[in-house]
Amino acid sequence: MKFLYSDTQDYVDPKYDFLNDRPNPKRERYWNDAYAHELMREAPYDGLLVAMSAVRQAEGVASSKVRYSTAEEQRMLRIGARKYLRFDGPKFKDLMLMGDCGAFAYAEHPQPAYSPEEVVEFYLDAEFTHGVSPDHIIFECDLENPPASAMPEAQRRFEITLENAQEFIKLVHQEGDFFEPMGAVQGWSPQSMADAADKLVKMGYGYLAIGGLVPLKVDVIKTVLEAIRNKIGPEPRLHLLGFAKADHIHQFVRYGITSFDSTSPLIRAFKDDKANYYIENGEGGLDYYTAIRIPQALENSRLMQGVKRGSFSAEDLAKRERVALKALRDFDQERGSIQGTVDAVMDYHQFLVLGEGGDESAHAKALSKIRERVQRTLEARPWKRCDCAICEAVGVEVIIFRSSNRNKRRGFHNLGVYHRHLKRTLEHSA
Amino acid sequence: MSVYQYSAIRARQAAEHDVFVFAANPKEVLEFAQIERVGRSDDGQLKGFQRHQIASHIRDIRDYLSRADALLPNAVIVAFIEGVTVRDVGDGRLEVSIDARKTPPGFVVDGQQRLTALSGLDKPDFQVFVSAVVCKNYDELRQQFVLINSTRPLPKTLIYELLPTVEGLPQRYTSRRFAARVVERLNFTGGRALRGEIRQHTNPSGVISDTAMQKLVMNSAAHGAIREFIQYEDREDRAVSLINEFFEAVATVFGGQWVGMSPRVSRLRHGAGIVAMGFVMDLLHSSQGATTKDGFVPGLELLKPFTAWTSGTWKMDDCEFVWNDIQNTPSDIDLLTRHLVSATKRQLRKLRRAANA
Ligand SMILES: [Zn+2]
Repeated sequence: MKFLYSDTQDYVDPKYDFLNDRPNPKRERYWNDAYAHELMREAPYDGLLVAMSAVRQAEGVASSKVRYSTAEEQRMLRIGARKYLRFDGPKFKDLMLMGDCGAFAYAEHPQPAYSPEEVVEFYLDAEFTHGVSPDHIIFECDLENPPASAMPEAQRRFEITLENAQEFIKLVHQEGDFFEPMGAVQGWSPQSMADAADKLVKMGYGYLAIGGLVPLKVDVIKTVLEAIRNKIGPEPRLHLLGFAKADHIHQFVRYGITSFDSTSPLIRAFKDDKANYYIENGEGGLDYYTAIRIPQALENSRLMQGVKRGSFSAEDLAKRERVALKALRDFDQERGSIQGTVDAVMDYHQFLVLGEGGDESAHAKALSKIRERVQRTLEARPWKRCDCAICEAVGVEVIIFRSSNRNKRRGFHNLGVYHRHLKRTLEHSA
Repeated sequence: MSVYQYSAIRARQAAEHDVFVFAANPKEVLEFAQIERVGRSDDGQLKGFQRHQIASHIRDIRDYLSRADALLPNAVIVAFIEGVTVRDVGDGRLEVSIDARKTPPGFVVDGQQRLTALSGLDKPDFQVFVSAVVCKNYDELRQQFVLINSTRPLPKTLIYELLPTVEGLPQRYTSRRFAARVVERLNFTGGRALRGEIRQHTNPSGVISDTAMQKLVMNSAAHGAIREFIQYEDREDRAVSLINEFFEAVATVFGGQWVGMSPRVSRLRHGAGIVAMGFVMDLLHSSQGATTKDGFVPGLELLKPFTAWTSGTWKMDDCEFVWNDIQNTPSDIDLLTRHLVSATKRQLRKLRRAANA
């Protein structure tokens, strides 16, 4: 089973100065930056997925989704995505490079943002190895299998998705089959998704991409896959689009999944409150740790609001911030006790909690929970046990929750740990 | 004109510069320092640096300073290259002597509006602080001017126009600086298609937006043809030449839609058209290896039937626009770029298929 990572221009400055929190003075964005597959010894994924909506502005595409500038988009389409993403060395050239439309970005819009012609042209120019037909997302999944007539909007999207798939595969053949077309499956129930899959196979698709899974629970996804496999048999390959339940993927082995894409190991490094650093526990599982939050005193909005209101002093915060950072770095160098380090970290951290408002007992409760989690991380020193290129290069900085250069590196580390863990689990179950 | 003497206080700052402050009458300041406004000499060389005065601003200052209780605690900044001698009298104090017998040796770097306002007032005893810095040469002086003023909104176009002559600026200026230099050269030394056509602070009769031209250069330098020149020492010459040749080809192919047109009547000369055509330049350079006018012409001929620069409609994927509906906004530039680039690519593919068949 292949794990694909969805590119969202996640790169870091490899020469970032952590002690002064400054980028390398000669840094040119993108050119001097490094993607995860460049920074780590091996790519922490089996392929990359590029969503058209992340690259191309269009009516109905939420502008916040568009991360590529016009110049970047144009360059990608001149030289191909593989070269653009620097995913073309001998190590990577055979890995999958898949395109899809990123239907989430235009889900609110009545029509998909891109026409089949435009999508085919985009995939050809980007030189993807695989490309998903332009779909229109259906959010609900009713296990009762209601008839189409009960779901008019879902039915409309269901039909748009299938008409597009028909047109798409025709155009792909016409243009000379430069990439493998993947048929997008959308439906409002396990039954309707199985019907869609069946229709796509009849159109000539040998590889299907199951969409609309993001909000669904693990059991619901299983029911959907069960229905699809019952309908189309074991042969057609399946890809799970935007699979947010990465931690549960081993439960899906029996459905014959060829590939899936997920950003969750990286996203976890920023978004998860408690479990934002993975490490294999040596018993076939993963342990999760809390990264230690030491935000930049003069840039953190919660702290700055406190300063503007006059409840905290900026100089005082900056001093405590320095003390917390120093304590943590000293601790990493075997100088200083766990208690002393936890105290220094919490002495600064308390302002983040205070900045949230609320009463004193709520504060005390929140602080004691955070204190426990910080202490657990310090006791375990997981960054000392990891031998990935990131942890080796930056050490304790990877566990500090602070600014994108640290947080993204922690995300890269998580991707690497997840990828290796996935391979091991799959080997065991094979 | 005479020699002016002041007692001053020195501040310890950069070792190679003298920085000191003293109090002087505004009228005296204007006698030992000039306000040199930006302009071009007859041969196209940039001279001076100050922006032009803003009357309403001066009026406001004058209204306030005419009051008996008015204070002006912030200093005006004057830079010197020569004409000033300082004598250390100990404890950080100086005796300063400014020789203005021939010509005012100082340049007002900051505070020109205040000085102008004060010089028109009848307040002979009102003094201002003068903060003086001694520079090695004129370029360094101009650098001080940009550094001191970049925290406050000078007109962007003036900053950009000064950038090519200024060293030691913050990193964020470097790509703009390169672009500004290329555009300046195109405007003052380029071929017929662009020479004198770009509107700059010192060339108000130009019609093509200088910021659009700079954007074209910056896009190409970030991700296009000019980026590929990065390993060459003469990168700037190559960039100037490439753009020059490209627009010579544009003028040839599009003729009356380019020559003598204003952005209002031809979208080809409009900010959106300029920036979008930059991507066509990058495409033809990378796919056809075009570097000369003759190299660019065939590709532009292929594109021509799909354009509507001065009349008619743009027919894009599933929409149509009246020719002048294209605005100078990022989304319109993006749309136009995609249309021009895809149309060119499609025609090139067709040609290739025909050649292979
Ligand atoms: Zn690691």
